[in-house]
Order: sequence, then C-alpha cells, then structure tokens
Amino acid sequence: MSNNTVTQYWLGALTVVFLGLGGFFIVNSAARPATGKKIPLVDVKFLDRTASRRTYADLVKANEDLSDYDCYGCHEKGKPPPIRYDANHKIIVPKEHSDVVMGHGSHDRNNLCYNCHNEQNLLTLQVRDGREVGFDNIPQLCGSCHGPNLRDWEAGAHGRTSGYWNHSLGAADRLSCANCHNPHAPRIPTRESAPPPHSLHGPAGHTAPHETTP
Amino acid sequence: MITAARNYMIFIRRCTRIAFVGDWRYYAWMGLLTVISLLGLNAYAKQLVHGLIVTGMSDEVSWGVYIANFTFLVGVAAAAVMMVIPVYIYDNEELHDLVIFGELLAVAAIIMCLAFVTVDLGRPDRFWHLIPGIGQLNFPRSMLSWDVIVLNGYLLLNVHICGYLLYCRYQNRKPGKWFYIPFVFTAIIWAVSIHTVTAFLYVGLGGRPFWNASIVGPRFLASAFTAGPAIIILALQIIRHFTNYRITDKALLTLRSIVQVSMIINVFLLVCEVFKEFYSGTTHGVSARYLFVGLHGYHALVPWIWTAITLNLVAMVILVLPVSRSLRWLDVACVLSIVGIWIEKGMGLVIPGFIPTPLGAIVEYVPSLNETLVCLGIWAFGLLCYTIFLRMSVPILQGRIAKSNEGQPEIQGDEPAATPLPDPLPH
Amino acid sequence: MTPTQPTLDDKTSDASMSRRNFLRGAAAFGGLTALAASLAPLRQLEDFSSSEQFLQKYYKELTPDDMTKVISRIEREVQKEYGIRPHVRDLKPMDGVEFVYCLNLTRCIGCRKCVHACVNENNQSRNPEIQYIRVLKMPHGSMDVEKGDHTYEAKSVPEKGFFYMPVQCQQCQNPPCVKVCPVNATWQEKDGITVIDYDWCIGCRYCEAACPYWARRFNFTKPEIPKERLNPNMAYLGNRPRKQGVMEKCHFCIQRTRAGKYPACLEVCPVGARKFGNILDPESEVSYIMREKRVFIQLKEEMGTSPRFFYYFDK
Repeated sequence: MSNNTVTQYWLGALTVVFLGLGGFFIVNSAARPATGKKIPLVDVKFLDRTASRRTYADLVKANEDLSDYDCYGCHEKGKPPPIRYDANHKIIVPKEHSDVVMGHGSHDRNNLCYNCHNEQNLLTLQVRDGREVGFDNIPQLCGSCHGPNLRDWEAGAHGRTSGYWNHSLGAADRLSCANCHNPHAPRIPTRESAPPPHSLHGPAGHTAPHETTP
Repeated sequence: MITAARNYMIFIRRCTRIAFVGDWRYYAWMGLLTVISLLGLNAYAKQLVHGLIVTGMSDEVSWGVYIANFTFLVGVAAAAVMMVIPVYIYDNEELHDLVIFGELLAVAAIIMCLAFVTVDLGRPDRFWHLIPGIGQLNFPRSMLSWDVIVLNGYLLLNVHICGYLLYCRYQNRKPGKWFYIPFVFTAIIWAVSIHTVTAFLYVGLGGRPFWNASIVGPRFLASAFTAGPAIIILALQIIRHFTNYRITDKALLTLRSIVQVSMIINVFLLVCEVFKEFYSGTTHGVSARYLFVGLHGYHALVPWIWTAITLNLVAMVILVLPVSRSLRWLDVACVLSIVGIWIEKGMGLVIPGFIPTPLGAIVEYVPSLNETLVCLGIWAFGLLCYTIFLRMSVPILQGRIAKSNEGQPEIQGDEPAATPLPDPLPH
Repeated sequence: MTPTQPTLDDKTSDASMSRRNFLRGAAAFGGLTALAASLAPLRQLEDFSSSEQFLQKYYKELTPDDMTKVISRIEREVQKEYGIRPHVRDLKPMDGVEFVYCLNLTRCIGCRKCVHACVNENNQSRNPEIQYIRVLKMPHGSMDVEKGDHTYEAKSVPEKGFFYMPVQCQQCQNPPCVKVCPVNATWQEKDGITVIDYDWCIGCRYCEAACPYWARRFNFTKPEIPKERLNPNMAYLGNRPRKQGVMEKCHFCIQRTRAGKYPACLEVCPVGARKFGNILDPESEVSYIMREKRVFIQLKEEMGTSPRFFYYFDK
C-alpha cells in the first residue's frame, strides 16, 4: 500500500473514531457519578438547648404544679423528720422520696438532709451559718460552700448562658445551679455522644477505597 | 502597515494549514492525542456539573494530582532556560538552533500548567476576579497572585520570543537584537522565578511543617533542571528521528551534563531532607514518616516514593558513568529521571503535606477515574500543542515554509522531505 | 514527515488529492462533532452562575444600593430553591467590639452537640457533610492533636482517662488564610471575625492548605440542606446557603453575634464550657475569664497566628 492510501485509511478511521466518541459522550452524558453514601439527619434531641432540669423558680414562673414543694402536705409542722441510717452509715431514703439519689460530695460526705434543708421550716433551705434561703435563691445556698464557683457564676464564667451577650440589645438568660446540677447528686450525668463526622469519601481517619465516578 | 498585517495573516494561515497536514503517522499520533484530550474535556465537563466531588480530593487532602502535575510542569517550563543559558551567555553553537524547541516546550508546559490550575478551581467562572483592575488580585501578599503573574508573564515572554524568531526566519531576515535579546535575558531570570515562586507557594505555609522548609525551593530548582532538560533530550531525539532537522550528538551531550549535575544536586538535597526529618525525630516529621515508611498502618505513598528514589538513584548512576555517552543509555536515564521526579514532585511533595491533617487525622488520597481522565486529557492536549508547534516550526526553520515560497505548492505531508541540510560537523 | 523513498503513488493525482482533502475535512468534522459532544454534560448545569451573580462586584465595593439588590437576589434564589422566604441581612461590625471565645477544657464532656447546633444554625450541607467544629478526644495529659480521636462514638461521654477538645476557626489576629487568598475573598473584620465573600471566592483552596487549625471547608458539590431544617435568619457574610465550589468556615454566627446574641454552639452546650463576648468590655464574661483564670492555651501558639479562641482550665 502506498503512503497516500495508508493516510487516507487513517483519515477515514479517525473520522469514524471521532464520531463514535461523540456518540459515546452523548449517550453517557446523563450518567450521574455515584452520590456516595446516605448520611442520616442528626436526631433533633442533639439540637435541644433547653435546660436539663427545672428549678422551683422555673415552675413558679411557668405557673405550674408546685405540689412537690408543699412539704407540709405530708410532714407535720414543728416536727423535723428524723434521718435514719443503715448499718454502713448510709442514709436510708424514705420510700416517699425514692426519686432522691444521694450523691452529693465524694465519699457521701454531704449526706445530711439538714446540711441544706431547713429542719425548722421545710419550705426553705438553710446555709450552714443558719441563714434561711428560699428555694428560688439556690446560688446563695450552693455558694456558701462552693465559693469560687459562685464567684465565677456571678461573673458569667460558670454555667450556661443564652440570649444576648450585648445587654443593650437584650437580656442574657442565665441558668441557676439546679438547672444543670441535681442538688442531691450534683455531678453532671454522662450522656450519649452525637454522631461522629463523615468524611467525603470514607470515614474520617480510616482509609476507604475511593469510589471512582466515571 | 496594512501590508505588514496582510503578510502576517498569510504567515498565520500557512502555519495553521501545516498543522493539519502530515503523513499517516502524524494523523495517527494527533488522532490519539485528540481522542484522549476529548475524553479529558468530557471528564472536566462532568466535574464542572457535579463539582470536585468527582475527584479523590477531600477537605483533608484538598489538593491532589492536578496541583501535583502543575508543580511538575512548572519545573519543565522553567528548565527551557537551561538551553537558553549556554546559547546566549556562553555562545554555545551546538544548541543555538535548538533553543527554540526548548522555548516551545516551555510554552506547551505553561499551557498545561494553566489548564491544571483551572481544573483545580471550584469556580472557574470567576477567573476574572484575578484580573487587576476589574478584580481583586491580592498582590503582593498572596504567593498565588505572584504565581498568576509569573506564569502568565513567562508564557507571554516565550510566545513573543518564539513567535518573533520564527516570523523573522520565515521572512528570511535577521532578528532585531532589541526585539528579543532583552526578552531572552528577562526570560532566564523569569524562569528561575516561576519555579521559586511555585516553591514558595508551599514553603510559606507555617501550618504544614512538611512544606515549611527552606530546602523545598532549592529542591524544586534542582529537580526541574533535571527533568526539564531530560524531556528536551528526548524531544530532540524524536524531532531528529521524524524530521531531517540537524541535531548533533554533541548538543545532546551538552544537555546530558546539565541533567547529570542537576540530578546529583537533587539526590544530595533529598538526603539532606531525609536526614533532617528522621534524625531529629520531632513531631514535625510525621508527614515525612507517612511518606517514607507509613504511619499508623497507612502507607499508600510508600511504594511510590521508594520507586521514585530508586529511579532517581539508578538514573544518577547511569548519568555519572561514561555509559550515558551512548544515546541509548542516556535515553534510559532521562526516562527514569522524568518518571522519578514526576512521582517525587507530585505524589511525593503535594499529597504528604496534607497527611496527617493539622488536627492529626489521617485520610488517604487516591485519584478518581474522572480526575485521572482530566489529567491525561491535559497531558494529551499539551503534547498536541507541542506537536503542532514543532510541525509549524521545523519547516520554517528549514526554509520550507518561507515568504519566498508563498504561492507555490504547499507541503502535502506525504511527499519526500527536502534533502537533508549538510552537516558541517563530522561526528 | 519522515524521509521516505519516493514511490510512484506519491505523485498524487488530482483525484487522489481531492479525496484526501475530503477525508481531511471529514476527520476535522468528526473531531469538531466529538468536541461538541464531549461538552454534553454541561446541559445539566443548573444555575451555575446567573449573569447577575457572575457580574456581581466585590463585597467591599458594593454600594448600599447594590447590596439591597444582591440581598433581594439571594432571597429570591433561596425562596425558589427551598420554598422559604429568608430574612437576609448585611450586618456590620459594631464599634468598640472585639469578639473572643473561651472554651473551658475542664468542663467539656465531648457530647458534640455544638457540632450539630452549628450545622443547624449555619445551613451547612448535610450530605456531603460540612461541619465547622471538630471535637478531639484526647488522652489525659497531652495537647498533641496527633493523639486525638476524631470519630469516637460512645453511649456515655465523658469517658474515663480522656478530655475533649473542640476545634473550630480560631479567628486569628494574624490569619494565614487571609494572607494567601489570591482574590481577597476572605478578610478580617474589625470585630475580629474572619469572613468569606462566598460570591467572590474562586475555590482554589489555598486557604484550606494554609490554615493550621483545619478550620476551613470546601463545597465539593452542591450543598444539600433539608427544607425543614433551613434557618431563614441569614447574613450575607454568614449563614446564607453557599454554592458549589466555594469555601466556608465558622464566622462566630455573624447573623446572631452582630445582632447582640450568643453563638449557637455556646447556647447548646449542656455544661457551659463555652464562653463568648466582647473583650473590650471589662464587664464581659470573657474579660473576667482572661483576668481571673491562670492558664490559657492558644492552640499551636508557635504558629504566630495569635488566635482569639482561648482554651482554659478551671480546676
């Protein structure tokens, strides 16, 4: 075959290849690359920003049932309820108060009800020096032992805050001690962690064969 | 004025025409490159629609083979100067007529560089934000803005030098010294600057200790001056094989000594770097550890870097031995150094900078098929450009396309080539 | 091109010549067809860039009139896409305000609620996932992030023997990301927040490489935000939905903080580990903390970035 004929064959072949390639592009143009994995939407419980507990003050403000705080509905006035201990010197929580978990202070050191409750008037609390404190003024009570925390809390450095940092535009919404801490067991309970991150092509920190997307 | 413009248009028309004319090998080669380029273009169209998610990149490894190839090709472009220096500074006669092929290679390489940067952009439609005046070029603070300027400047310089010299040859008149010599010297300095600036792109990032090392700049230059002339050696031999353009062995051997010295420096700098990273044992060496020996069970790059080091060492040994005075061995050494440096600059420099992330996570990177097609497409397009440049320039330099033969029958492609030029130097 | 011996056939006849010219034309035509066809996927390009957006000026060059138009365009686009009319504002920094964030490592329990509150507030893409906050689970005694676990999952946090360190944009006084941006698409405002003009970013990801805190995120594809979780209270430099191919990052909830409110990550924190405020106001929580607490950690202090984000301990 002469060079000239070979060239002509090649030109013809190229035309066919080009047209075929064009056809392939058209047919293939709608193919979407694989969209990867499904990531479920995060559970709304992890978005919740309400306080974990409600205090006496919250109930009063919301005009709700305060029967839990009506101590003299059951107890007798002027007759402080006695505290009983078991053989291990652990306090026996009466069954009427079975919701109370005693866990304040390490080694159960703070296990006397009357360290905080006022035995003379169950409707109030009392500081160790005898000052009476209302249920709506818990920080005064807690701060009598946890001084540095009270100081931090007053400055806004301890505890949860929401609302406005700029007080000329709106009020900051401060939570009080019992909004987060259970006074009977103040350690913040552990909780479930929200879902971990998903990296673009595989789990973060692991190697996953990359899905090719032609 | 009008005549000059008309003459220039005829020149352009004849050059364009010759690009589409050749024998069957030419058509087969160009056809292949066109097909690969189009596959790449198609892959890029998909990337434009769906976003960079079709690549293997992620927030953890946010630059991949696009930037790796870009970095390598900046080196190739810069290395064109290695032929210019002997010619214009030391008056090396052998290389004189070959300089233009080096500069054309620089043009093709810069075109590829710009293409690689463009495909890496998330919003290429906003490229105009880079244009001073209508956009906001953050010059001189951002090293990327320096890179934009030096790359485009280098492209313009080389296009001007090549275009001017070729047009003069076409008209068979002596080039006016003031029209190109100042540009040639500017280009020499500029070539060093494009590579230094590209190195500084990485070196300037304090948050990435693997890159934040002053040796990166010198290593860039050493490896560029190895890979660039190596590519030119191969290109010249291909030109010599397919055309009867006179290229002497002596010219190739001059380039060999450049590759030889650069490769030795390159390997020496590698040793310096490896020593620093491993002997001191600081936590800043984690990326290097990931690259060379793997980290916490992740070692995707380990085979790559050891391949690169092996290739470079073998190439260096061949280059140092007298055996590489034989062109066959020289070719082997050139291929080995090109591949070795490509790996070392790409997978070996860009990717490990991202692993682990500044927060210590290890996410590995593997280029996707779509990304690979885009890369192949750009390489094919670059080769297509270079082939066209050679197809135009060789007949012009040989005087087969000249003002004097305007209007006479044009080259058809299959006709026997003109008689080879006499070779004044016996070898 | 190769020097070959002339043969008889090379004396090309006119017919052969014209046939070859025809075939050259055919090949060129085929090539052009394939070129056009290779661009076929572009038909799926939805509003990649409306001309209005393509021509939009740089944020700092927008006149108040321009900004009104831009905001109404954004509101229109969001309404079209999500069926919800958003309220987009261009909130400016306040005088005499410089924001500082303090995070109490003694308190943080690693629950990751801040991560998801942030995603929800700031309209981040859910799939693929973009999150501004990364929580590291760290073994006691070390501040080396390389020892951190990013993907821990636990029924019960905090776990014994670990502390938790959330990392987000540190709002550096000397931000490396701003320095490297080739088009000034990201800059530091006078209240200390480093912001991004999402309509100006070209998506080169240089800032992502420059950030020592891995705080920047790229939209690798069109973000996916479920309609029911769209936050319609938006700011131009803040949480308005982003486009494919641009960077984003934590901006201290500009849409909230420049209106005087606390950021979303702070409000959701169940243990009050996060504190935020105006460091120029001596009465603010952050000023108190800086005055009263002893040890602060600016992450990677040796980088010279001087973060406005401080980690501290209180026991």
